[in-house]
Formats: sequence, structure tokens, C-alpha cells
Amino acid sequence: MIINEAPALKLVEIKKEYPGVKALSGINIDFQTNEIHGLIGENGAGKSTLIKILAGIVKADYGEIFMNNKKVNIRSSKDSQKLGLSFIHQELNLIEYMNAAENIFLGHPYPKTRWGTISWKELNERAKEILKALDIDIPLNIPVGRLSTVNRSMVIIARAFAVSALIYFMDEPTTALAAHEKGMLFEVIRKLKSIGKTIVYISHDLDEVMLLSDRITVMRDGKVVTTLAKNEYEKPKLIQLMTGRNMNSLFPPRLESRKFEEIILSVRSLTGPKIKNVSFDLKKGEILGIAGIVGSGRTELLRSLFGVDKIISGEILFDGSLFMPHSPSESIKKGIALVPEERRSQGLILNRSVLENIAIVHLKALSRGPFIDIKNAKREAVKIGSLVRLKATDYRNAVATLSGGNQQKVVLAKYMLQKPQVFMLDEPTKGVDVGARYEIYSIIRELAKEGSGILLVASDFSELLGLSERILVMHEGKMIAVVNAKDMNEASLLKLCYGLEGS
Amino acid sequence: MRPTTFATWGNLKNIVEQSSILAIVSAGVTVVMITGDMDLSVGSLASLVGILSALLLKSNMNILVSEIIGLIIGGLCGLLNGILVAYGGISSFIATLATMTSFGGVALLLSKGVTLFGLPDAFLWLGQGSIVGIPVPIIFMIIIVIFAWLILEQMTFGRRLYAIGGNHEAAFLSGINIKLHRLSSFIISGASAAFGGIILTSRLASAHPQAGNPLMLNSAAAVFLGMTAFREGEAHIGGTLLGVFIMGVLGNGLNILGVNSYVQSILTGGIIILAVLLSSFAKRKN
Repeated sequence: MIINEAPALKLVEIKKEYPGVKALSGINIDFQTNEIHGLIGENGAGKSTLIKILAGIVKADYGEIFMNNKKVNIRSSKDSQKLGLSFIHQELNLIEYMNAAENIFLGHPYPKTRWGTISWKELNERAKEILKALDIDIPLNIPVGRLSTVNRSMVIIARAFAVSALIYFMDEPTTALAAHEKGMLFEVIRKLKSIGKTIVYISHDLDEVMLLSDRITVMRDGKVVTTLAKNEYEKPKLIQLMTGRNMNSLFPPRLESRKFEEIILSVRSLTGPKIKNVSFDLKKGEILGIAGIVGSGRTELLRSLFGVDKIISGEILFDGSLFMPHSPSESIKKGIALVPEERRSQGLILNRSVLENIAIVHLKALSRGPFIDIKNAKREAVKIGSLVRLKATDYRNAVATLSGGNQQKVVLAKYMLQKPQVFMLDEPTKGVDVGARYEIYSIIRELAKEGSGILLVASDFSELLGLSERILVMHEGKMIAVVNAKDMNEASLLKLCYGLEGS
Repeated sequence: MRPTTFATWGNLKNIVEQSSILAIVSAGVTVVMITGDMDLSVGSLASLVGILSALLLKSNMNILVSEIIGLIIGGLCGLLNGILVAYGGISSFIATLATMTSFGGVALLLSKGVTLFGLPDAFLWLGQGSIVGIPVPIIFMIIIVIFAWLILEQMTFGRRLYAIGGNHEAAFLSGINIKLHRLSSFIISGASAAFGGIILTSRLASAHPQAGNPLMLNSAAAVFLGMTAFREGEAHIGGTLLGVFIMGVLGNGLNILGVNSYVQSILTGGIIILAVLLSSFAKRKN
């Protein structure tokens, strides 16, 4: 890569201060043409503020921006668009009843006929061009609601390229994608680079960033810590730079020589709308990982056990007696809890206080008769909050004001207020930064140590291998293997997940 | 006609008294709107219960018994709304729009479309009497509002309603029985509409099959106005009470100024829009 060429985008001394918080204190970064530039940092490091400034959503207090050595001003999102900056956000949703072509161009001007109406023909043509360029084959004549999961993800990817830009900013673009879809996205990103574009890639997934980026810039506390070239990448080093702490391991230490005897949950030939014939035993104190690609039925298995998805046949024995849950409230009463996959849409009531979010599951236990015992609720919430290492200045503040990691801790706390006997976690560290991840792992370990049975679904294989004793592998709704975590590595687990190896 | 009468103690009492019925009905509507639903049937339900209790009273039934029957009918109509919405899966807007029409029809049918007069004097105390100088409707209003505040802010039931309104899915996964809570909120709304209808009938000393109808739009407006105050975009009882009084002061002020009642409607609509706009501008500034 040629560094001495004029950078595509050069940031000089960008500063931004919010009341009481220095979000950015003098950011200097060069982004080159033909470059994939990784941008990493913990939540609160200032990445989002920086992106918002470049997108014209927030104004910088100080600093200059140059493109090809020419000074530019970004006062609005229109300015940003005109300069050729394109932003691809995480968790973009599709509009189910519109077709792929319309979803791709959503938010951009549609082509018009000479009568001023929308030219559907041209819209479809343009969509086809984009899809062709990306080597994606999706039917355009049906609503995306009827497309398969994979094809829907492809639409999300294609949408990123609806406009032709010079610099693409991608913020956690892979959170909704399965492994092979990620591969396709990476192909697309590399193709963009090869035709002279700049890609700024922001992600918590360090493996991804290291694999993809030509250089990586690390941010911490509103400052650039350093920019590393490809030959300087080392995961522990990156983590240390991001957190400012020395971390020897990503995972809390295992407790050696533990024996699990008592069975807490016994699942026999469980069949639901999207799972077939699943059987396993979960013992007290055990962490059982569940692996599988997206659509393998991992989430659905947890949902059936929690009483959300219906059970068609098979049975569940909880602590030795038959338990067929019909609703989450039944399960929670029994001592079975589920931390759902989507923390914002399923786990939290964002506009309500931290206290209320923690209290909502076990409100009855915090009440005297029909009235809430506020003092008691506060005491209990603070107690469980400190147990999960929740950092919240005031429990009366809306939960939306917390960082992603702390929000996730609130979700953990609300289901832990009364210690669950079976604790199910669906992607508990999704979108959570490295430091908070370690803490969440510790919480899970501690719960197991105290005798709860844990079911852990995670797409991050290192997480499954680092935490679980055994791993149950699912493929197309069926359980295809139960393996000991010690005997596996990420590659062998991946093979199993794709149904390539039986055992 | 003279603006000097506006800012007097007597007029203030007058405004509060006139607003009390709207406050009672709006309290129930607030409960429904907290979960994110809507109850459009409260107005015609108030009319219906007014007609019903007038008919019962005219058949010489005991006052207390006939009013309790009225409240139960209100609760049952709310139950019907709740079943349609929570268990039938119909959007609350459509379900209560339909029942609004039907309740209104029943009221017209029962009354044969005419105003019913000749109600017993003792019944008129509910809407026109007073205890130690305080008009009875005001006392009822205070009781209902305190009751609503207790339910919504201090009881588990209310906090669960807020959770449902805040995030349906998260509330369900937190083990809250969403259907039952939505159903209950409609029963509360139905009963409070019935209560409002009874007091209205007593106040007017007559029952007209459409007397309560304006309560629907006015209660929705009061709750919406309240949603812009104190807490952002969320129905709550304090805000609703404020909304009710804004509506009351408006109507009263325009009356005293002698504004034509048609023009009053135009101005009231405009002022509601203005209030909501102002508060959303203020929010954007922050």
C-alpha cells in the first residue's frame, strides 16, 4: 500500500465535547484510497461520535477535515453524501412487504418516468446491476418477507451499495449475518477496495477486523491510541490497547476438576415448529454451549424451553418432574430464565429507568400486597446490579443512557434477581465490548459455580469453547452432536455446524 | 362576556367542576393508552350508561343499585373491548371504533332517540350536590385520580402496564401476561366511562342518547396533551389531569369571551396542535 499519496480522508485535531463529557479530544487519522481501515475501541471510546461528525449528524467543536488534500466542510448529512461518504449501519431492518429492489433503494431518490411517477422498470434494472456486481442472485418480484434468511441478509448487504461513494463506513455490518454470509460480504468489501474505494470497518469482532483490514486504528477515551500496520496485529496487544488494561486471557479461569451429578433439566425428543427431536441433559453447575449456524434452531430451542415457541411433541423434565411451559411467566416462576438475543427489542424497556427494568420480572417478590415496596426494590436492584458489575450513576436514569455492555448487564440482572436454576443465554455478548465481555463471562461462571445449569447460545465459537463444558451442535433444527469442549477447536466446531462431520 | 370574571375563585371552581367528568373518563383512557392501545368507545359508552341508569331510575329502582348496575355494564362493555383487542387480536383503534358505533346504537334504541327527563331528586345530588361546599363531582374526580395514581405508579399492575407500553416483546419475555393486562385496562376504562356517564346524567338532570359522545375526542385530546408534559411521549395520570384542565380553561375562557361555539371548536383544535408542537420543538432543542 502506498502511504505517501494524498489521503482520501484526513482528520486533523477533531474535537467534540458534550456537557460534562469530552467525547473526542483531538482525533488525527488518515484514511487512504485502496484501503480497508479497521477502527476499533470499547463502547464509549468515541467511534460513534466520530462517525456522526463525518455523517453530518453532529458538528465538531474544533478540527479540520481534508479530502485529497482539499479542506471540506460537513454541515449536514447532505454535505456528507455529496462528498462521497456512505454509511452502512448495523441492524438495518428491511420492509417486509416491499421487494428487494425497493428495499435496496429505500431512502435514496427513486428513478422517475417522464410523468413524474416512479419508474419501476428502471428501479429493477438498477437493482439487478447492483446484485450482479455483487454476484448475488435474488428474485426481485416477491416481497422480502417471503425470502429466505440468507437472501434477506444479501438484500441488507446490497443496500449498502445502492449509492456509489468514495468512502464506505461500515459499523458492525456482520452482526446479523451467518458465517458464510460474512464471507460474501468480505468478498464485496475487497472488491470495493480493488476499484479504488476506501472502507472504514468498525467492529467489536477483532478476528474479523484483523482478517480484513490493511491498517487498524485503536481508539480509547476519545483519543487515537495508535494506528497499526498489518504486520503488527496481535489480538492480546489490540485488546490491551483498547482497554488500557493488561489482560492475559479473554476468559475467566475454569474451575478444574468439577463433577456434575444432579440433573436439573432433561429434554426428551423435543419437537417444535423449528426444532426436531432434541434430547439432552443439563446438570446443575454445568455450562452447556449450543452451536450452530443462523437458522439451525438454536434460538428456537431456547424459546421452546422458555414457553415462547410451542412444543409439538416430546417432554421436558425439570428437577425430575414433567414441566411443559406455555408462557415465559410459567417458566420464570419455576426458576427458568432466558436472556433474549436482541437486547434492545426483546430485553429492555429503553425509555424506563434502570431500576424498573431490573425489577420488572420479579415485581411480585418486591411488593407488599398490590403495592410496590420501592425501598426494598431499590435495595435489591442495587444488590444484583453490583453483583453483575453494573456501572450506572443513577438507577433512576433511563436504561437507554447506558452503554451496550451495561445494558446487557441490566438484562442479566433482571433475570437474576431471584437466582434462576436454569439460565439460558442467547448471544449474551453481542455488540458488547471486550472489557464488559470478560465481566459477563465471569457472571456466567459464578452462576454456574453456585449450581445453576447454564445453556449458552453463541455465534462466537471462542466464547463457546472458552466457557462451556460440553457443546451441543445443531443443524437444520436437529441436534447432530454433543461434544466435549476440550476436544474441539474453532475449525472442527465449524465443520460440525455445517453438518460436514457426523459423530 | 367580561374578561374580569375569568380569574375569580368562583370561576376557577366552576372550571374544575365542569372538568371533573372529563377527568374521570380521561383517567380510564390513560390506563388504556399507557399500554399503547386506544379506547374510542368511552363517549358513546358514557351516553349508553346514562340512558340505562335513567331508565332504571324511572322504573323506581333503588339509586345505589341502579348506579352499581350502570358501572357493571360499563365494565362489561370494557371487557368486550378487551376481549376483542387482547384475545381477538383486533387493533384497538378498529375494535373500539366498532363498539363505539354499536354502543351508540344501543343508547339510541333504548331511549328511542329522545331525552329522558324526570329523574329522582336524590340522584341529582351526584352531579349537583356538594359536601362542605365542595361540589360532589370534584370529590369523585379527586378520588378517581388518586386511585388511578395509586394503580399506575405504586402497584405492580401499573408498572406492568408501563412495561407493556414501553416494549411489548420485552415485557412478554419478562413473564408478564400481556393479554390479561390489556384486557384489564379496557375494563377499567369502561367502568370509568360509565361513572362519567352517570355523573353527567345527574348534572344535566336528564339523559340524552348522545350526551356523552364529545367525551371521546376530549379525553383523547387531554391524554395526548398530558403526554407532552413532564415525561416524554408517555401517558401518565398527572399529565392527563393537566390536559383536562387546559381543555377546561380553554372552553371556559372562550365562553366568557363570548366566542361563537363553532369558532370555539376551531380554536380548541388549533390550540391543541400548537401546544403539542411547542413541546416537541422544546424537546428537539434539548
